[in-house]
Amino acid sequence: MRELRSAEFPRADEVWRDYRGMTGDPARDRIFATLLAGQIVSLARCRRHPEGLEVDGIFTPDNFRKRGYAHRTLAALVMACHNDDLYMYAVEGLAGFYAGFGFISIPERNLPSGIRERYTWAAGNMEGAEVRPMFRRAGL
Amino acid sequence: MNITDIQTAFVADTRNRTAIIAGLAVLTLGGNLLAMAVGAPEGLLPLPALPLTIPIILAGYWYPRRGLLFAACFAAIYAVTTTLLSPPSSYLIYTTLLRAILLVLIGGVVAFLATKLRESEQQMNQIIEFLPDATFAIDREGRVIAWNRAIEKMTGVQKEAILGRGDYEYAIPFYGEPRPLLANRVLEGEPGTGHSPVTKNGDALVSEVYTPHLRGGRGAHIRFTATALLDRSERVTGAIESIRDVNDEVMTEVALQNASRQLNILTGILRTDLANHLAVLYGHLSLGVMKFDDPEILSFINDLNDAANGIRRRIEISREFRDIGTSPPAWIPVQQTIRKVAATLSFGGVTLDAWTERLEIFADPHLATVFTHLFENSLAPETKASRIVVTYQLRPEGCAIIVEDDGTGIPGAEKKNLFVQKTESYGHGLFLAHEILAITGIAICETGAFGTGARFEILVPSEGYRIV
Repeated sequence: MRELRSAEFPRADEVWRDYRGMTGDPARDRIFATLLAGQIVSLARCRRHPEGLEVDGIFTPDNFRKRGYAHRTLAALVMACHNDDLYMYAVEGLAGFYAGFGFISIPERNLPSGIRERYTWAAGNMEGAEVRPMFRRAGL
Repeated sequence: MNITDIQTAFVADTRNRTAIIAGLAVLTLGGNLLAMAVGAPEGLLPLPALPLTIPIILAGYWYPRRGLLFAACFAAIYAVTTTLLSPPSSYLIYTTLLRAILLVLIGGVVAFLATKLRESEQQMNQIIEFLPDATFAIDREGRVIAWNRAIEKMTGVQKEAILGRGDYEYAIPFYGEPRPLLANRVLEGEPGTGHSPVTKNGDALVSEVYTPHLRGGRGAHIRFTATALLDRSERVTGAIESIRDVNDEVMTEVALQNASRQLNILTGILRTDLANHLAVLYGHLSLGVMKFDDPEILSFINDLNDAANGIRRRIEISREFRDIGTSPPAWIPVQQTIRKVAATLSFGGVTLDAWTERLEIFADPHLATVFTHLFENSLAPETKASRIVVTYQLRPEGCAIIVEDDGTGIPGAEKKNLFVQKTESYGHGLFLAHEILAITGIAICETGAFGTGARFEILVPSEGYRIV
């Protein structure tokens, strides 16, 4: 479990291909991964926006699920980025999982504008989009 | 090419231009008149005026100060002769007058733009001319197009003697032979060849050499810096190169290194001498403990032992200081440094989590010593820490590397003097860490809350870190 170097970002992009086609940008992102025998088995991304840090891209391929890899990866991200407040759009069913890392639900209007833009298509209907804005205050 | 050649060429150039303008004026105006005299078909009148603009544009461009006057005279001749030779028609007089005005306007606009262009060129030349660094510029063909006063002074070669010269002649004052300089490498896009190592600094190429030909043959260290001259489409139109005499800097650096080496030798001798005497003192103190059993004397010996320990600690610190600043700072990968430090320390039950994988900072090569002292303080049994975490945070003013533990922390009263030199208590070596970081403008402070752990923030300025 470690942070990926810029040269390894394409490997993460490859894994994320099955996850909304997400990609990493070395200029803005920090990507954390759990690796098993050199293979990426879980990923999480922390993206720097001008107004705050957004956590997303938490993804474990189907064949590696239910082994705690996502938990470890997110724990690494939270520890590495704990000096800043963290924001995220959590999938509704995983809000409890994120609460275990100190994330709490917040009204969408409390998200920094740069992060909120991602879900403008939902027009404020977070429940309809099945996502929940969450926030974690800085600190270990 | 000497000054007489240049003047001759200039005069010849001026005569040619005047002749071209006069020839075109006669040709276009004469053609117009001839056609009128012969009798142009009425449908074609007035005759197209476009050819008449050619001598006006050229005159305005080549002689901006007289361009407007020329255009006015030319337009007046055109208007008068055309009016006289045309069939009487108010329409024709009106259109001829309009054309004459148009010709004057064209001449005025071209002259105005050409004047502005000349002023801009003049300003640029003045800037180059008065740059404190010796500077010259070459065009795409490698001919000298600028040679300022500072380079005249440095090389003894006057501008008039070198302007327009190519075939690497401008290298002769520096190398004694014609050969490509950095500016040529910029043009050729080939920074890798040559006699001296070349580094890139942004878009500029930089090289330092020693040349025996400058300073009246006494030689000097010089630094070349060259970059491309680009046009609006970012195409390379030439290259500009500045040459700085860094002889004094180099000599000072060498002198400082020599002085530093001498001091190191001296302090090394003193250190060894002190250590030997200290060993003798420790021996006597050990004998004293065995020989006397009077509590008062033993307490006295104990005090002497503490004093000797203090001296030993100072010797250790002076040994650590020995090499600081002797090697130039460099970009150092933080995570790798932490890994190396961790491998030399005993962590026992304390965990270390470092999250600085892509971070590099510009620091003294003894950066590892900084982490060693920070970790040693966290690992001290009295600290009671079970975890050390190293992270970084990007801030508007730079990057903070944060080393924190979950031990007892540092009492508020001690924080003030945490980074001053001392031998005992929490913070031993922090003075050294502070000094190492300060070499490259990095600060360190402690921001933890007593009771929840120590938190050291290493504050790297914006230009001193990079995420790779």
